[in-house]
Amino acid sequence: MPSYSRARSTASGAQFLDPSVLARIDNLELLARTVVDGFLNGLHRSPYLGFSLDFAEHRPYMPGDDIRRMDWRLFARTDRHYIKLFEAETNSNFAVLLDVSRSMSYGSHEVTKLDYARYLAACLAFFSNRQRDRVGLVTFDHEIVEYVPPSMKHFDTVLHLIARAEAGRPGSLTAPLLQITEHLGRKGILVLISDFYEGPDAVLSAVGLLRARGHDVMVFHVLDPTELEFPFEDASGFEDLETGEQIPVIPGKLRADYTRMVGEHTAELRERFTAQRIDYTLLDTSKPLDLALFQYLTVRERLARKR
Amino acid sequence: MSLSFLVPLFLLGIAGIVVPIVVHLTRRQRKNVVAFPSLMFLRKIPFQEQRRRRVQHWFLLALRALALGLLALAFARPFVDDSDSALASSRGPREVVVLLDRSYSMGVGDQFERGLDAARVAFDGLGPLDRASLVLFGQGARVVARSTSDRLRLRGALDTARVGSGTTRFGPALKVAQTILEESELPGGEVLLISDFQRTGWSGDEGVRLPTGTVVTPLNMATALPDNLQLADVSLNRQSAGGRDRVTPSVRVVRQGGSEPVTVPVTLVLDGQEIQSREVTVAPDGVQTVVFQPFTLSRPHTPGSVRLPADRLEADDARHFVLSPGSALGLLIIQGGRAERDASLYLERALGISEEGRFDVSVRRQDLVRDSDLDGTSVVILNDTRLNGASANRLRTFVEGGGGVLLLAGPSASWPASAADVLPGSLGAAGDRTDGRGGRLGFLEYAHPIFEAFSGPRTGDFTGARFFRTRAFTPTDSADVLARFDDGSVALVERRLGRGSVMVWTSTLDSYWNDLALQPVYLPFVHRLTEYSSGRSDQLQWFEAGQVLDLADSRALETAGLISPEAAGLTGGEDAIALTPSGGTFPLPAGDMGPRYLPLDERGFYTVRPPGSDPDRPFVIAVNVDLAESNLTPMEPDELVAQIVGVPGTDGGGPGFTDGTVLRREDQERRQSLWRYLLVAAFLLLAGETLLSNWVSRGRGSGAPGSVGA
Repeated sequence: MPSYSRARSTASGAQFLDPSVLARIDNLELLARTVVDGFLNGLHRSPYLGFSLDFAEHRPYMPGDDIRRMDWRLFARTDRHYIKLFEAETNSNFAVLLDVSRSMSYGSHEVTKLDYARYLAACLAFFSNRQRDRVGLVTFDHEIVEYVPPSMKHFDTVLHLIARAEAGRPGSLTAPLLQITEHLGRKGILVLISDFYEGPDAVLSAVGLLRARGHDVMVFHVLDPTELEFPFEDASGFEDLETGEQIPVIPGKLRADYTRMVGEHTAELRERFTAQRIDYTLLDTSKPLDLALFQYLTVRERLARKR
Repeated sequence: MSLSFLVPLFLLGIAGIVVPIVVHLTRRQRKNVVAFPSLMFLRKIPFQEQRRRRVQHWFLLALRALALGLLALAFARPFVDDSDSALASSRGPREVVVLLDRSYSMGVGDQFERGLDAARVAFDGLGPLDRASLVLFGQGARVVARSTSDRLRLRGALDTARVGSGTTRFGPALKVAQTILEESELPGGEVLLISDFQRTGWSGDEGVRLPTGTVVTPLNMATALPDNLQLADVSLNRQSAGGRDRVTPSVRVVRQGGSEPVTVPVTLVLDGQEIQSREVTVAPDGVQTVVFQPFTLSRPHTPGSVRLPADRLEADDARHFVLSPGSALGLLIIQGGRAERDASLYLERALGISEEGRFDVSVRRQDLVRDSDLDGTSVVILNDTRLNGASANRLRTFVEGGGGVLLLAGPSASWPASAADVLPGSLGAAGDRTDGRGGRLGFLEYAHPIFEAFSGPRTGDFTGARFFRTRAFTPTDSADVLARFDDGSVALVERRLGRGSVMVWTSTLDSYWNDLALQPVYLPFVHRLTEYSSGRSDQLQWFEAGQVLDLADSRALETAGLISPEAAGLTGGEDAIALTPSGGTFPLPAGDMGPRYLPLDERGFYTVRPPGSDPDRPFVIAVNVDLAESNLTPMEPDELVAQIVGVPGTDGGGPGFTDGTVLRREDQERRQSLWRYLLVAAFLLLAGETLLSNWVSRGRGSGAPGSVGA
């Protein structure tokens, strides 16, 4: 497993990982291209090639290239450093399962959770498309809203639907994920992006269905910083975005309990997802997207090795 | 003595005290609602409702309620009602001004008599300390009795009042009343306005504002006039035939109201004798035109009338006029010796075209002006003439005596330098404008009498005339430039000299230098130019009641139709008298050089003659009423009252009409001004409440909401 800490430098493309910067880009494809290219430039390593054993070509060694891929035989013959390039994977199914329930529309700053999830989904779809995977999309709240089956030709449709996604209705995981399980017959990589406002049992039982069908599942838990830290001061009525229920709250008295409960919730989700070999990542919408992208690359590399 | 309120309705505002309390105690916490993705982790804690429902700071609540109550009281304008003293004040001495309308519309039925009776009753009701004034008004206002408590004098003044011939104008009368009341020292002011309240008498912008507290009582004397015939638009068309004037009178008979067509005779009276009568049938609200046979006018100052049978509004049933045989305007055209024979052809022809034979034109071909040439001449037209100094001096004398000189500056025209001050400037060389399409008239002084007739649309187009050559002209400071060409050069310029005027036209008035003579506007322009230059003014065939004539002004007399002072016996600065239509006399002493005004207040004929004489054809002036007064459309008296005092007085009721309660309450309230103190107290309380509540809030710290104030 490569050490990514070295790669997380302040490269020129890193600024495009900032959600507040991304919020100014309307075109989702441009956004994804900008993010992914900027992110990969910062990695200083070959982006797409290398996960296969099919030789493609030689390329002069550039500082930052993995020296394990250097062709020593050629060096012996020519006294020059070349690295070997291989063809990438082309047969994986990749689908983004995007939660568009009403609670995803929340945002305490200029980027809502849905925006953040949208950027992430677009970047991952773009990444996978470059990897020549078949890209699909499912948006859901308490039922499936949009469904695009994974295909090499559906990338534009996926981006279009991601851009058009709106959060409007209450959501739940069980029913739509059960439906998705039935729709996605072929095994593939599934990326589930949600805020998981359900009990761990309900979440695990729903996501477990996907895992049980043999999919490689990555879970991104998207939360606003205010959901994590509960920084409110004034006593106010708090209204549930999905149910409309309103209760009076004195935040100062509740903050400690709230943050503790959220921490317990995410910890339990992480633990139980891990137990089911599901990659769980908690994302703060005020933080750059690179954590999610690193996580994705890690998983892909692990899967490539496994195969 | 008791506490009263000027606007007690505002006391309802006290009820507003309970509104914030009720809202505070009953409303749910609706502000500061925070939308949150899920309440899954939020415990549902009750929002301290019990605490909200309990009033915590009674003192603050009391302060706020008291402040609101004081505000409501202040707006209700409280005052201590001293009714006893108010009653005493109402019985105090009053200054009463009776305004009695004597316009001719008050002559309908018994309107004026009833108005007199109302005024008498008002005077009879005066208290021992009251004073009263009587003002008769029509177009103007005349104070017959001013601020007196002498009832006999007031009644005597009433006995002399008669219906006049003027129109109704409330403005002057109310101004007089305003002056009387402002000068009065008595506490109570009252105005009794007796009129038939025609809409035409009040425009609303007269600027009358009676003193505060004045009680105005309108007494409407109007009675219905369902059917009225009147004569309007008398036209006296004159034609000159064989040196004698033939006059064809015509008149329109207008009927207002009515239900059936009526046939009435219309009579033409001349010199006191009925000479023609025509019957005409007029439909309800209809109009008929009556044209009489022409008659020959041979004697000056001939009075005439057109009459209808008298109806209830008699004043508009006759129209009077005065006619005199017209005299032609003597014109002398002096044509330069070297000029062509027909240089004045266009001028002669244009001045010869006149139905009434207004111009007596003679032409001389010479460069000299002799004294004999100027006898009987009103205007001398110098058509491209080269004059010598002697001729110019003769013309100077001629102009100073009232004659007119019109210099047409053609190629040969010149003026001697010895008399240069006679001209309104200096003539220069001829300028050529033959390139292009020639010059045009670019500026005309349409306010000047010459061009006034051409100021309206389709009344004459000067822009069609093209000028190919003109003479340069430099006007003096005292000259008036009446027209300029499009290049800014002078076209027509005038200078007043003595009683006459000298005018210079810097081109020709034929087709030699321009084509103005070929334009339709040429003939009326030449007529206007000549008439103005002569100084003769149009004669008025009648005046309207209310106008004033200055008999010391010869031009005014000429306008009034005085043709033959010798026949009228009005020669020299001698005393004269005017016999009014009602038979009275109006002395007109000769006096010094000051004006001798004759007010023409009555309809009919005024005869002016020396006292004790009986001239053959005395100077007669016809006076007709203004027909606007025949429009009896009424107005609402209270509307007028509201505009002059702000608060309407009571309606009717004669001299016992005093009801100043409303105004006295206002006065008492204004004097006491308790609302100011209440307002200050309310603001002080609110300021104290603000400080106190801030202090309480700080002391409470960041406690739970709902515990603020009450």
